[in-house]
Amino acid sequence: MIGITNYSVYVPRRRMRRDAIAVAWGVPAGPGCKAVVNFDEDSLTMAQSAAWPLIASGGAEALSFASTTSPYWQRSAASLIAAACDLPTQTATADFGASLRSGTTALRAALDAVAAGSVRTALVASADCRDGAPESVEEMLFGDAAAAVLVGSEGLVAELVAAATRYDDFPDEWRRDTDAQVRSFASKYSLTRGYTENVVAVGRALFEKAGVRPEQIARLALASSDGRAHVAAAKALGIPAARVEDVRVADIGITGAAMPLFLLAQALDRAKTGDLILALAYGDGADGFLFRALGDGGRLRQESAPMEYPTYQVYRKLRDYWRTSGGSAEISNVFLRREETQNVRLHGSLCPQCGTLQFPIAKVCGACHYHGKLTEKPLARRGRLFTFTKDFLYTGPVEPTVMAVVDLEGGGRFLCQMTDVEPAAVEIGMKVELVLRRMREGAGDHYYYWKCRPAEGGL
Amino acid sequence: MAGSIKDQVAIIGVGCTKFGDNFDQSFEDLLVEAGFAAFADAGIEPERLEAAWLGTFSPYAGNGKASVSLADALRLYGKPITRVENYCATGTDAFRNAAMAVASGMYDVALVAGAEKLKDRPTRGLGWENGHPYQHDGLTAPGVFAMSANRYFHRFGGGRDALAKVSVKNHHNGAMNAKAHFQMEVSEEQVLKAPIVAWPFGLFDCCPITDGAAAAVICRADMARQFRDDYVLVKGLGLAVTSGRPWYDASNEYVGFAATRAASEEAYRMAGVTNPVAEIDLAEVHDCFTWTEITNYEDLGFCRKGEGVHFIGEARSALSGDLPVNPSGGLKSFGHPIGASGVRMIYEVVTQLRGQAGARQVHDAELGLVHNLGGPGSVACVIVLGRQ
Repeated sequence: MIGITNYSVYVPRRRMRRDAIAVAWGVPAGPGCKAVVNFDEDSLTMAQSAAWPLIASGGAEALSFASTTSPYWQRSAASLIAAACDLPTQTATADFGASLRSGTTALRAALDAVAAGSVRTALVASADCRDGAPESVEEMLFGDAAAAVLVGSEGLVAELVAAATRYDDFPDEWRRDTDAQVRSFASKYSLTRGYTENVVAVGRALFEKAGVRPEQIARLALASSDGRAHVAAAKALGIPAARVEDVRVADIGITGAAMPLFLLAQALDRAKTGDLILALAYGDGADGFLFRALGDGGRLRQESAPMEYPTYQVYRKLRDYWRTSGGSAEISNVFLRREETQNVRLHGSLCPQCGTLQFPIAKVCGACHYHGKLTEKPLARRGRLFTFTKDFLYTGPVEPTVMAVVDLEGGGRFLCQMTDVEPAAVEIGMKVELVLRRMREGAGDHYYYWKCRPAEGGL
Repeated sequence: MAGSIKDQVAIIGVGCTKFGDNFDQSFEDLLVEAGFAAFADAGIEPERLEAAWLGTFSPYAGNGKASVSLADALRLYGKPITRVENYCATGTDAFRNAAMAVASGMYDVALVAGAEKLKDRPTRGLGWENGHPYQHDGLTAPGVFAMSANRYFHRFGGGRDALAKVSVKNHHNGAMNAKAHFQMEVSEEQVLKAPIVAWPFGLFDCCPITDGAAAAVICRADMARQFRDDYVLVKGLGLAVTSGRPWYDASNEYVGFAATRAASEEAYRMAGVTNPVAEIDLAEVHDCFTWTEITNYEDLGFCRKGEGVHFIGEARSALSGDLPVNPSGGLKSFGHPIGASGVRMIYEVVTQLRGQAGARQVHDAELGLVHNLGGPGSVACVIVLGRQ
């Protein structure tokens, strides 16, 4: 028996109200708001944040990353995420992209790999932060988020009942290698011939394959391309609206390749033991899965209070920050490689003589000055704020830049920026967690490092 | 064996440029002005020098990169010259090295020059270019000290009101100093209402970015009288270095600087100072930020840890107090061209000990202290100077 052993979602804390976007362009407002990345986040960092709690509570022998907005055309984001999750180098990493169903394609590959016995556990992390063109419908709709699921054969929260797929080279929405923003034929024809036809076909194929009737489906996790189309598709499949997962357009947005796994995680979390869950994803065809819940959900951690951007201008400026910031000197791969365990895997040194855990990695103990073999040890990624400042002099995209000195749980003191925080809320003693963020742009590359932010409950 | 330099080295000449936005002066111009002022003060020709030390923290456009910057400025060719860099303690450490060389008997007469040309460059403030390409991103010089100040106030209480008093005092003193970068009084209200730079520091809690140079001519104490009668003697000096990354040290309480404590203990031992607040007549200390001056009172032993807020509150460090601190105006008002500052402090203390400080003269000054603090409070140099 194979299936899902754990799941998580990551929603960035920043929100952009749709009525504020409407004010900026003088267009009618959409409802609610959308979740958007902070200036230091991208699909890679969101996926790492979604993956980490699953890795921290069990590890994985494979890790894949799925997104249409990887920060790299060439360089495995999955490998960087695996390193930031401190996974061993024999972990099988893979990057999936191009399609809005790349997340479910990666999930299918993970289920197949576990079923084939090539790995015992496989993590799939999907994330997207698609940028709609200013004044476009996409800008109003698109939101940013990530979701991760862990696939395995022991300790399942849901077992796989059946899977189905179909491809369809139908041009309704695309982005060329030279495009920064999505292009589409937005029409009723595109919706019915593309979206509805494909998801309904795969849904019906699953019913047939598993011998299941629509009324047996307790939860339908159906990704939506516009926030509405899924309603008609659910109806066509014979599943009542009350059993359709809220696609979260009003508080998160259309989250691209992250949406299918996000809704699957949401459905698993709301499921009761025995529930049949139908998960469907559209994109150049469709993927579908039928899962049976083997326990009650309730695993997702509480989302912390969102932080609204005050105006559209602030949102636009921060979204474009890395595109417009000046950049800095190239950093050699000699240096980056030597410091990987420290700067990416977040290891410190443990002194065998006095037991002090310290950062950065040391050859001589900072506490007792022992010179010998200090042991490399992962640092905890949670701690308390020891001291801080709010710096208006540093040239960052927001003022002030909060600098933090953090005492980590289990030892080690760390210096980093604090992010995702209202400066007025910063106080000595507050609980923080370390998060991977985009740190700076060098000569033609992104550099990632750790920041802290107010801790979410129960990691 | 812990040796002592007491009464072995004399300062026979000092010079200092006007500090400020010296847009029309080059790095070499600054060195020429300060250097020749010191030669004239000592009554010597440059040929009399046997060796020289140049203190510069941050070379720009090649200026200050090495010994040649001083050699070419003063046309001092064919002599041993050493460039010193030790964060913001650069100037005092250059002096310390020169003094030890003279005390060793290697040279009779030597020059110490400190210079910095910060206004040639386009950046605002000083970045924290501490070597690592991104670990410290977000850190600035005020930010580093502000993190300490916030922890200090968390532990001992107090806040921006106390900081403002330091600023008001140092601006008051600087207003009487024609060479100071800022020669203006400020009110507590002005200081408190200024824009925040790095909480809890506002604009008037931070020293400025300044151009300037200062120089001193030193010689063996036993030959000082050949040059002048009112020479000043080195009574003691100490340098101490702690971690340049104090934010990673979990045992660091973040309420002061061990480097200052160690360096001052060493200097006091040599000078025979046992009760600094009673024996020292004036002190030029490193007030890069107002809170730094408050912790300096404590780390230099003028008062106990946590009581620095009262030391300024009770005006004990005012020009009229029992231990005037920064009668020159300090880094806050005089300015802080990094490599020059330590030598500039020596210039001020020598001027005070000779009784030539005019309106800001400390009455009957016999023993003066110089204190530099570099990096994130990691490098401290303390020099005690006295009349013969």
